[in-house]
Amino acid sequence: MDVNVPDARLMPATLAPPAAFSGRGRRFAWTLLLLAVAFGAVPAAIVGTGSSYLAQIAITTMIFVILSASLNHVTGTAGLLSIGHAAFYGIGAYAAALLSTKAGLPFMVTLPAAGLIAALFGFLVALPTMRLVSIYFAVATLGIGEMIYVVLLNWVDVTRGPMGIRGIPPISLFGWQADTLLSRYLAVAVIAVACVWVLHRLTHSYYGNALRALREDDQCADSMGINVERLKIESFVVATFFAGIAGALLAHTSAYIAPDNFRFMESILILAMVVVGGLGSLPGAVVGALFMIVLPEALRDIGDYRMIAVGATMFLSILLLPKGMLAEGTALGFVRRSFSRGWATIAGGMPVGWK
Amino acid sequence: MVFDVFFLQQVINGLSIGCVYALMAIGFTLIFGVLNVVNFAHGEVYTIGAFVGLMVITAMAPPLLAVVPLVLAVGAVSGVGLERIAFRPFRRFTDEASQKSRAMREATLLSSLAVSIVTREIMMHIFGGDMQGIPSGYLLQQPVAIGPIMVASGSLVIFATSAVMLGALQFLLYRTQTGLGIRAVSNNQLGARYVGINTDRTIVTTFAVGSMLGATAGILVGLYDGAISPHMGFAPGVKAFVAMVMGGLSSIPGAVACALLLGVSESIATEFLSSGWKDLITYSLLVITLVFFPQGLFGHGRERA
Repeated sequence: MDVNVPDARLMPATLAPPAAFSGRGRRFAWTLLLLAVAFGAVPAAIVGTGSSYLAQIAITTMIFVILSASLNHVTGTAGLLSIGHAAFYGIGAYAAALLSTKAGLPFMVTLPAAGLIAALFGFLVALPTMRLVSIYFAVATLGIGEMIYVVLLNWVDVTRGPMGIRGIPPISLFGWQADTLLSRYLAVAVIAVACVWVLHRLTHSYYGNALRALREDDQCADSMGINVERLKIESFVVATFFAGIAGALLAHTSAYIAPDNFRFMESILILAMVVVGGLGSLPGAVVGALFMIVLPEALRDIGDYRMIAVGATMFLSILLLPKGMLAEGTALGFVRRSFSRGWATIAGGMPVGWK
Repeated sequence: MVFDVFFLQQVINGLSIGCVYALMAIGFTLIFGVLNVVNFAHGEVYTIGAFVGLMVITAMAPPLLAVVPLVLAVGAVSGVGLERIAFRPFRRFTDEASQKSRAMREATLLSSLAVSIVTREIMMHIFGGDMQGIPSGYLLQQPVAIGPIMVASGSLVIFATSAVMLGALQFLLYRTQTGLGIRAVSNNQLGARYVGINTDRTIVTTFAVGSMLGATAGILVGLYDGAISPHMGFAPGVKAFVAMVMGGLSSIPGAVACALLLGVSESIATEFLSSGWKDLITYSLLVITLVFFPQGLFGHGRERA
């Protein structure tokens, strides 16, 4: 009987609802389709229209895909509600900006360095706060997020305070400069897809199942021999690392960053993406990011009423789909499907279960 | 000498800010007690209180004592409305598993956030995003001399109002049937339902009471500061939330004590730090408290789910 736990989960960036993924082929097709959109249709549209507005939205979406996928890793999979995620995004952005403008380091160095510096801060934050549970942890992350914002805003000597940092060089690799709209978008898209893939491999594995175990009941997981403290710290560090990467991408693509990009409301926006998309579901996080970035832009025509419409849509989507657009598949459903698949060869296609 | 007059004045200013945080933090605590969720729209109730107060003052110019009951009523109505829109629909599932489900809890958190975004944007449309001035006749900024210390009359009004409201709240919670219901539901919602308490009505009452306190805080700050804006609810909302958590989530005395602590430390911090760094004090206090007291200062141990 082939009950392959890691592989029987959803692939990233698939749009298929959990009930519909019976075959590996269908998931593969969805993944291909989304990759085709990301690397075919969107670049074609950018080249076709030559609109920098479109490119900017596409780049922002990709950056927020990384952010919401990384928040989903810590909040959705490991169950630690973090409402200070934007601060680590900010640390990454400032690290990349300062390293490239002051120290003149190339993108190849600043990108991983931004991630590592954000992860280092994440580690320092995680050490004392990991024994906090539920809402206490959430408020600690809120407090730390605000502290980081206050420092970015007021430490004028280093961060230039509210004026922000200007003139950050664009993405460049071994002498090749991503200075056209298309190349900028493609560079960001490749990195975003790589990040989502890494997060997918991390979550859809036995390691990811251990994270889910401590989300469901950390005391129980502890008694089963899972090193809860260590896993919590690791998941937080991984999430902050990817937030730092997203920050570096923002710094290098927009050439200008200011502390207001990393405020509390930004953290809430990322959380909203994860919850609207479906807590614990990586495809959900991706779709949530698309939804929350594209919707306000699509509603630009109604001008001042845009935010009201965004709030109302957010409310309705939570009201009608409290588990998110692409909810994480239930453990019971997964077990039933796996057994059915194994059973099918023996019992002549009789499904297992009690429905 | 450390305890000079200026320092004492700062402490009194801080205490009055702390009282405002405390009034809001109690609303958070009450609502968290009965529902186990954070009400992100609490800051908007505070703003609504301030704006309704301003509208009444500009339209009818009533005496100040008449404004307060009106704001209380508006607070109660907005609390009930908020509960109806943002919280009631998510209580469709009343079984224990759903009540403890993380997805459901975070859904309510975001639904209240969505309601607060919509409310704030609607207020922006009606009143504009700028600061609105309060008519000078109502401002509570006359200096009052108490011995060597000069205190703004607003501080005294805030102290008096907070004391009255805290007293009334204690009476409500510990001397009335309704209060008994609220305490029972916060203790165990399912248990309260089993012994015949109408939990839905109790929750609505709790929202009404909490929002009355929040709306009063709003108009008091409006009169004290002299200017209000649709964004004014955000910062005190976050501070009150922090105070509630520092106090241990379900403890009203804890929330009040921590709110006063935050107010005083912020106000003293402005003496030797530039105002930009003021917030750092608040959040450092929060983080230090949580590191040494993971359940808040007055919270009790972790319940086995």
